[in-house]
Amino acid sequence: MHISLNWLQKYVDVKISPEELANKLTMVGFEVENVKDLGKKYENFVIGEVLNVNKHPNADKLTVCNVNIGSKTLQIICGAPNVKVGQKVAVGLIGAEIPRNQHDPNGKSLKLSQIKIRGVESYGMICSEYELDIGNDKDGIMVLDADAKIGTPLAEYLGLKDIIFEIGITPNRPDAMSHIGIAREVAAILKERIRIPTVTFEEENEYTDEVVSIKIEDFENCPRYTARVVKDIKIVPSPKWMQELLSAVGVRPVNNIVDITNFVLMECGHPLHAFDLDKISSKTIIVECAKGGETFETIDHKKRNLRNDTLMICDANKPIAIAGVMGGANTEITDTTTNILIESAYFNPRSIRRTSKYFNLSTDASQRFSRGADPNITKWAGDRCVQLMQEIAKGKVLKKAIDVYPIKIQAKEIDLRVKKVNEILCITLTSSVISELLKSIEIETIDIDKNVIRLRVPTFRPDLEREIDLIEEVARLYGYDNIKLKESTTTRFFVSPPEKDFLDDVRSHFIGRGLREIITNSMQNIDIASITSDKFVKISNPISKEMEALRTSLVPSALEVIKNNIFHGSKNLQLFEIGKIYWIDGKFEQQTPVKGYIEEEQLILIFSGLKKPLTWDEKTRSFDIFDVKGEVILFFKKIFLDNIKFIPYPISNALSDISIRLELEGRNIGIIGKVRTELLKKFEIEQDVFFAEIKLESVIKNRKKENLFVLLSKYPIVSRDIALIVKEDILHNKIEDEIRKAGYPFITKIELFDVYQGEQIGMGNKSYAFTLEFMTKDHTMTQDEIEGIMNNIMINLEKNLNASIRK
Amino acid sequence: MLEKIKEVEQLALEELNSATDIQMLESFRIKYLARKGLVANLFDALKSVPVKDKPFVGKSLNELRNKIQTLFDEKKDLFEAKQKKTETAIDLTLPGRLEWLGSKHPLTQTLDEIKRIFFRMGFDVAAGPEIEDDYHNFEALNFPPDHPARDMQDTFFITEKVLLRTHTSPVQIRVMEKQKPPVRVIIPGRVYRNEAISARSYCLFHQVEGLYVDIGVTFSELKGTLVSFAKQFYGSDIEYRFRPSFFPFTEPSAEMDISCLFCKGKGCRLCKQTGWLEILGCGMVDPNVYKYVGYDSEIFSGYAFGMGIERITMLRYGIDDIRILFENDVRFLEQF
Repeated sequence: MHISLNWLQKYVDVKISPEELANKLTMVGFEVENVKDLGKKYENFVIGEVLNVNKHPNADKLTVCNVNIGSKTLQIICGAPNVKVGQKVAVGLIGAEIPRNQHDPNGKSLKLSQIKIRGVESYGMICSEYELDIGNDKDGIMVLDADAKIGTPLAEYLGLKDIIFEIGITPNRPDAMSHIGIAREVAAILKERIRIPTVTFEEENEYTDEVVSIKIEDFENCPRYTARVVKDIKIVPSPKWMQELLSAVGVRPVNNIVDITNFVLMECGHPLHAFDLDKISSKTIIVECAKGGETFETIDHKKRNLRNDTLMICDANKPIAIAGVMGGANTEITDTTTNILIESAYFNPRSIRRTSKYFNLSTDASQRFSRGADPNITKWAGDRCVQLMQEIAKGKVLKKAIDVYPIKIQAKEIDLRVKKVNEILCITLTSSVISELLKSIEIETIDIDKNVIRLRVPTFRPDLEREIDLIEEVARLYGYDNIKLKESTTTRFFVSPPEKDFLDDVRSHFIGRGLREIITNSMQNIDIASITSDKFVKISNPISKEMEALRTSLVPSALEVIKNNIFHGSKNLQLFEIGKIYWIDGKFEQQTPVKGYIEEEQLILIFSGLKKPLTWDEKTRSFDIFDVKGEVILFFKKIFLDNIKFIPYPISNALSDISIRLELEGRNIGIIGKVRTELLKKFEIEQDVFFAEIKLESVIKNRKKENLFVLLSKYPIVSRDIALIVKEDILHNKIEDEIRKAGYPFITKIELFDVYQGEQIGMGNKSYAFTLEFMTKDHTMTQDEIEGIMNNIMINLEKNLNASIRK
Repeated sequence: MLEKIKEVEQLALEELNSATDIQMLESFRIKYLARKGLVANLFDALKSVPVKDKPFVGKSLNELRNKIQTLFDEKKDLFEAKQKKTETAIDLTLPGRLEWLGSKHPLTQTLDEIKRIFFRMGFDVAAGPEIEDDYHNFEALNFPPDHPARDMQDTFFITEKVLLRTHTSPVQIRVMEKQKPPVRVIIPGRVYRNEAISARSYCLFHQVEGLYVDIGVTFSELKGTLVSFAKQFYGSDIEYRFRPSFFPFTEPSAEMDISCLFCKGKGCRLCKQTGWLEILGCGMVDPNVYKYVGYDSEIFSGYAFGMGIERITMLRYGIDDIRILFENDVRFLEQF
């Protein structure tokens, strides 16, 4: 909302600087986002009169002018062909900043200094429209009106001597969306009186209700409708003062009638609408909801489909306006309009809000009505409007407004307990101080004692309904900054163990392991979200197709990150993210906060490029799937989760060419994989990418929170190597299982240290070499014991895997 | 014989002195100290020395041998040390062998710090769903249907009644539904707004919400808590102010500003010349909210606050485009 200081001062005296006022408004809840001095641009520009024009002695195209600027006469060199004696012109003085220099190819600004042009001094500049940034005419100087006063600051001549406050009005304060509304607050802050304009005008003998009739069919949505008729007006531009004020607050002047309704809107905040009376059939106004299905053309010349809950203003046979939102093209004011009907009504906020939402159409009027206008101002606003129409447009005002208002909306009365005020705010005000504070914003005390104040809240404050609302007003007026800080607390202690933030531990672990944390968008394209699940959650009003679904896996958004990093030259990437994935639980299988929707915390590790940075003597290599597998094993080790099964899944699936499924007690808790080639192509990634995606909630549920101490063995560990040859289709974990079984319970470690395949051992075979470690808790193992166990292991391998032991 | 010894000694010392490299030293050794060297020759000659002179001459000869040997050894060590230095010295300026370095996302770092401060002040942590229902996101927070305050938060809908939460405040309701006062929690989480993406706004961001409800909680304590937080987080020299604002679920409502971290309140581009930076919204929990969760507002009172982690992170590190936080360019990540 833009508030003009000039305009504001019509209603209240402001004796402090604009900056101070801005600060005070901010501190009572009207955040001033910007204070703009409209005239600042034209500091050091004044109006001058050209006294004489002489040829420059040393330049054919230049003239030397003497210009009277009131206080003195300046010698100015001018290059414009149109400069003539007697012209009123805009003069930039030494020190002025010319907004656009027309000799600069980019039209940059230019600071004027005293200069010599071809031997003759020049003490300023006579400016063109282009130079002043008013128009685009570069061909000559701007010639002002003949009656412009010499010496007047240009800003004043242009109507720019004003300060504009850009105020963010919170949605609970529709009353403050006007100059009088802000003036009321200013008066309270500055302890000044507010001056509401007195409305007087002449009325014709003819009565309004002899000419038009008003009928409200829907009192719930339109509790009040006030109408005035003005005849014989002439549509012309509105006077300069009004145009200046409207322009200053960002309203484009149109013509006197439109401008007056806008002026009253910006003055008191009540939206009005002017109809061309002669276009209203049977001069009848009916307020009712549309039937639904009709189309209606609004003033912006858009055709809109009406719904059966759209409140409409109609005449005898057609709709003529969407109530409280926008007028219709069929009754619009045009240059030939002579008689008009002014509507000043009060509409139900909910109805207007619904309509405005439905049409996706937010106007000055709909904003105010939907937040809550003042039902008891319609008469004043209508009268103020016709008063101005009489003064400015010479209109004839018919006698007595029509005012359909069967059930008057009364001011609310609220009891305020002094104790409650002081308790909540931690202050000590008496009832009389509170009463005074509230009186400054027109909340009247009806009844008062030491403990309770009965207050009457004006109808322009729909936000004040309860005691707590008034407590806020007291706090606001008393000043939030005057409420002392309580810097201690007597909080009650918790009596249950705090939930340790496991996710923080997970993060720290992977950061320590050298991975970088990423945070990515959880919304993505449907094509992407559907790769991993067809139960993705779809957003009904997405920003774009690119963000229409919630992710069902963290892999695609991580691939996006990898793609962009490679594009920017970072090819070696080891990243992780902890984030949610989402899906629809169509059969309501799970107990979730919002039934039918599941979201789960997920962990992704993703690797691409070199396993280690290049060094000067060691070889490095690219990441492969066993690096990820190792990282996952370390993670589970770290959190003491030792019953995870790694199940190979060598064929491709949606995300991976090859993968390993992670199972915990028969349940799938994640996957390790090499990202599928087709998917990499989709993301234009030309290097291999490996990942692990783990369901953190399952991990959290199953992890051991703490381990009990296990006694350390006092006896030495014995180690033995074993090498064996098996058929190549026998998997490592199978061999490991056999060794473990046969070595139980003495075997503590099985470490694969060599893998060989080649002609020496025959095609179709492979050789594995292991180091095995044995231990007991109660004695030192003897040579015989160990030989026995090793024998067992060998026999088992030979028997069950058809292995041959290399001796 | 003694002269001969003297002569050899003199010669040997001269030659040893003039030896400049390890080869010359080796020639010296062969000439004097080898099995057939000059010193050995002298020992051979000892046989022909008269017996009475033998002890004395022998002693001199031994002294000679020891002296030459010692000097030779010293010189040899010196040369060897020199040679070692030039042949196998380690260049310690070679780069160390690196591993990849991990890092915490700047948003997580900010959140961690906020959490640490509130934990110290006795807050617990709570969480709730991002896919929320209208009831928790709006209605129970005193945003009635068709209320203009709903326009303050552009919402992504999934169905008419299910949406992506626009703030972490619905978790306030979920916590109070489950637990009786005292309630003292912070609630970090991801929230969504259906706004055009620009340098200043993204379709999602992260908030930390705070809620404290108990007997006798006042606006004054709200101020005290948040000022303490701000001083712990931004530094004890900041100025602050609370100004009235509007949130449907708090009353009175306020916004907290701190003096601009960059210009110290003088006015700059970052604070839009005001000298102030808005850091959070807060207020006393509205009695209507208590109605929805079954608390008696005549007995309990409380406060709530919320802040945007992105905004705070951007202020902290001087980041001017929110989108860079979600691009995860490692050149960006490695700066934190």
